Amino acid sequence: MTGPVWVPTIDDTKVREGAYAAVFPMGLGVLLVRVGGDLFAIANKCAHMGCPLEGGKLEGHVLTCPCHDWRFDVRTGALLDAPELAVATFPLKVEDGKIHVRVGEE
Amino acid sequence: MIDEVFVYALSTCPWCRKTKQWFDDSRIEYEAVDVDKLSGDEQDAAADKAYELSGGRRFPVVVINGEVVVGYNPDKFLQHLRSWGGGGG
Amino acid sequence: MSNEPRKESLRYLFERVVTPLGYKFTPDAELVDELLEAEVKLEQDLGAPYCPCQGRSGVREEDMKIVCPCIPFHRAHFDAMKRCWCGLFVHLDVTDPDSLPQFPPDED
Ligand code: SF4
Ligand code: FES
Repeated sequence: MTGPVWVPTIDDTKVREGAYAAVFPMGLGVLLVRVGGDLFAIANKCAHMGCPLEGGKLEGHVLTCPCHDWRFDVRTGALLDAPELAVATFPLKVEDGKIHVRVGEE
Repeated sequence: MIDEVFVYALSTCPWCRKTKQWFDDSRIEYEAVDVDKLSGDEQDAAADKAYELSGGRRFPVVVINGEVVVGYNPDKFLQHLRSWGGGGG
Repeated sequence: MSNEPRKESLRYLFERVVTPLGYKFTPDAELVDELLEAEVKLEQDLGAPYCPCQGRSGVREEDMKIVCPCIPFHRAHFDAMKRCWCGLFVHLDVTDPDSLPQFPPDED
């Protein structure tokens, strides 16, 4: 019935450079991250034991899970120490000043 | 006692238990310590010793006649046991 | 209080982590049960399912590398043994885990 859909979230200006904001398109936990002017959307759920990544430290493109320090590249979602393990990433676009995230099964 | 054996172990580690069992079954006397069951300074001292001997944090650390074996490895235990024709060289 | 529910959830969580890395739970069911039981207790006491077979140092950066499954941080060594240090996980093709000895990373 439902394919992926674009869901509007927060204003583009709400995500500061070098920071992230948690949003919940269709109830899904997503982090919007801005690094070097670029925006990325990744699942707010660690690939290790499922902790929210929100609260973790962002350094460059690397987000560190607050629970046990697993480090993820926000561009790809990949775990730095074993890229086979990754958190989900989502396509996004900015329209009318709002960040839209595409969620749902392909 | 012709063989001197000391086992650094963790109480949570099945291979530490199996190591002690192996020495029991082989009727070889040994001393052992569960590092995680010690407290305070004693624990730190035993842990540091085990880390220094093994060059890591893996248990068990088995010292047989001065030779260090890291892990449950009966072939290597035998190599260093004088009562089994091992040790020295 | 039974630890079974938490053991089951660790089983579920860890399966998802180790499969993409080419590992599975060892076929030695008794060993799996003993290790998961130990990890649940460590988690209750210390806040994380630390490795039952490796010692903590108190330095966060080091200790986080021995929270289960620690395979990403010791991969070359574990791949050489075809098992993790505790033997909780083995390579996908392993059917006889007892044939795999423990040896430290600088030996083979
Ligand atoms: S050695 Fe095995 S059981 Fe121990 S933490 Fe690593 S993956 Fe888990
Ligand atoms: S849950 Fe994220 S590192 Fe463990």
